[in-house]
Amino acid sequence: MTNTLDEAALAVVVKQVLLAESRLRMDPADLRDDEPLNGGLLRVTSMGFLGMLIKLEDVLGIELPDDIFVGRTFTTVDDVVQAVRGRVA
Amino acid sequence: MSELPKQWQSVLPHLGHTLPEDVAPPSSGEGVSVNLPMELVRQSLSQREFWDIPEPVLEQYRRYRPTPLWRADAFARAVGARVPIYVKYEGGNVSGSHKFNTALAQAYYYRKAGVTELVTGTGAGQWGTALAAACAWFGLRCTVFMVAGSLRRKPYRGTLMRLLGATLHESPSPLTEVGRAVSADRPGNSLSVAIGEAVAYAAERDGCAFAIGSGETYSILHQSVVGTEALDQLGALDAKVDAVVGCVGAGSNFGGIALPPFAAAVREGRPAPLLLAAESSTTPKLTRGVYAYDRTDSAGRGPMEAMYTVGSEFAIPDSHSAGLRYHGAAKLLSAMRFHGQIAATAVGQADALSAAHTFVRTEGVLPAPESGHALAAAARLAVDGVRDRDADHRTTEGVLVCVSGHGLLDLGAYDQLLAGELHDEIPDEQLIRLATANLGRPR
Ligand SMILES: Cc1ncc(COP(=O)(O)O)c(C=O)c1O
Repeated sequence: MTNTLDEAALAVVVKQVLLAESRLRMDPADLRDDEPLNGGLLRVTSMGFLGMLIKLEDVLGIELPDDIFVGRTFTTVDDVVQAVRGRVA
Repeated sequence: MSELPKQWQSVLPHLGHTLPEDVAPPSSGEGVSVNLPMELVRQSLSQREFWDIPEPVLEQYRRYRPTPLWRADAFARAVGARVPIYVKYEGGNVSGSHKFNTALAQAYYYRKAGVTELVTGTGAGQWGTALAAACAWFGLRCTVFMVAGSLRRKPYRGTLMRLLGATLHESPSPLTEVGRAVSADRPGNSLSVAIGEAVAYAAERDGCAFAIGSGETYSILHQSVVGTEALDQLGALDAKVDAVVGCVGAGSNFGGIALPPFAAAVREGRPAPLLLAAESSTTPKLTRGVYAYDRTDSAGRGPMEAMYTVGSEFAIPDSHSAGLRYHGAAKLLSAMRFHGQIAATAVGQADALSAAHTFVRTEGVLPAPESGHALAAAARLAVDGVRDRDADHRTTEGVLVCVSGHGLLDLGAYDQLLAGELHDEIPDEQLIRLATANLGRPR
């Protein structure tokens, strides 16, 4: 169903979930792609990140790959979009 | 003939409450990472009830499951029980305990995620042995930090782990900062140091991950195979029980035997059986601890979780039941305790080993000292009832008790029992209060 999401729409979904996780009320369009996950604006902890990934799986109807965690650090909003994009395409 | 369950069963959708969120460790400010295979993350957080056991894990389970369940009439008679006691026995696999049920699952998921080596900390050695065996089966390297005092007492645990291909280090070790920071005059909490060492060691190596045997929600899920199987076996015997007893280290054993019967009762709209957790009187988190946010390891790299705890810095008195010497109870069980869904009783090691002694002479199986705590609690319940939090608990139909492991590598402890040299050291109220004074309470 959501498999037809284009990249822009996908980024919006990811940003919505990230903003909710950081308890921020702002327009996803105003969130920059290179915004740090753990910086002045967003406050995504490793713990919150796990819950967020599960939420993204639910919302997008996808399963993220098991090896998503091996030796990989997510630093910006775009890192998350890229990880999810591979599964939606 | 009962069958091996094909699915694990989660209690989360039947709780009637949600678990307090974990509190993240101090951030390094450098992005975030996922430190678990995704399926373990899902199993911890999702409300899904049934989870297919992957075929490669089932294939391993089939080598030792279904495990035996029987009506222990000779034991019941010997202790003067008023109701039948049914025993589920998890000691009959190469690792000697229930820990193998989750070790296999974890090794499978980590392997699938591309990990090449698993690292862990172990107290009693059962978890280390289980992980070593599971890693051998699934082609992973395995490194184990074992509490030094426990290894000295049970050197053959070490031999078994090495036979299974694991690399073994005594903890505290000089290999990690956590180990080096432990000073002789302030020994601290030995199991949480061993776990802290394993976390630190894994963090510094590529392809290497830290695996934990108990406490996390996914390990309790994997242990549900025990309770699900037991329900099926009780059904085949046409047996009724209104109480389930298990010993608690961090809680996966107890969760495994007790939560499937709880979930079945909720699903069918029946009153749940009494769930009685038997803890060691050296670590009385459920009966004398506080419900607070505490660390799961001594390195403090993991999150803080809401748990019943005697404090992660609490210097736990010595005992032969190293597997129960953990400062806190799993957040899942703790939340259930907080909501009145779990009763608890503390058992001293003299009582525990005496019950185990009676058991080997009547039923022909030598239980691990940890499992002796469950047998002592089951006997107490079946004879006089148990008092907990101002309530008297009795059973009128029957008791199901899990004997989580065998005691064939704990003969030193049984030697002391025979020599009349077993003593119980009960922690001082003041020390527990001190060790928990600064912990934050869940809202
Ligand atoms: C034989 C045995 N029983 C029970 C336990 C406690 O296990 P859990 O952490 O699952 O409560 C252990 C832990 O090492 C054990 O070895």
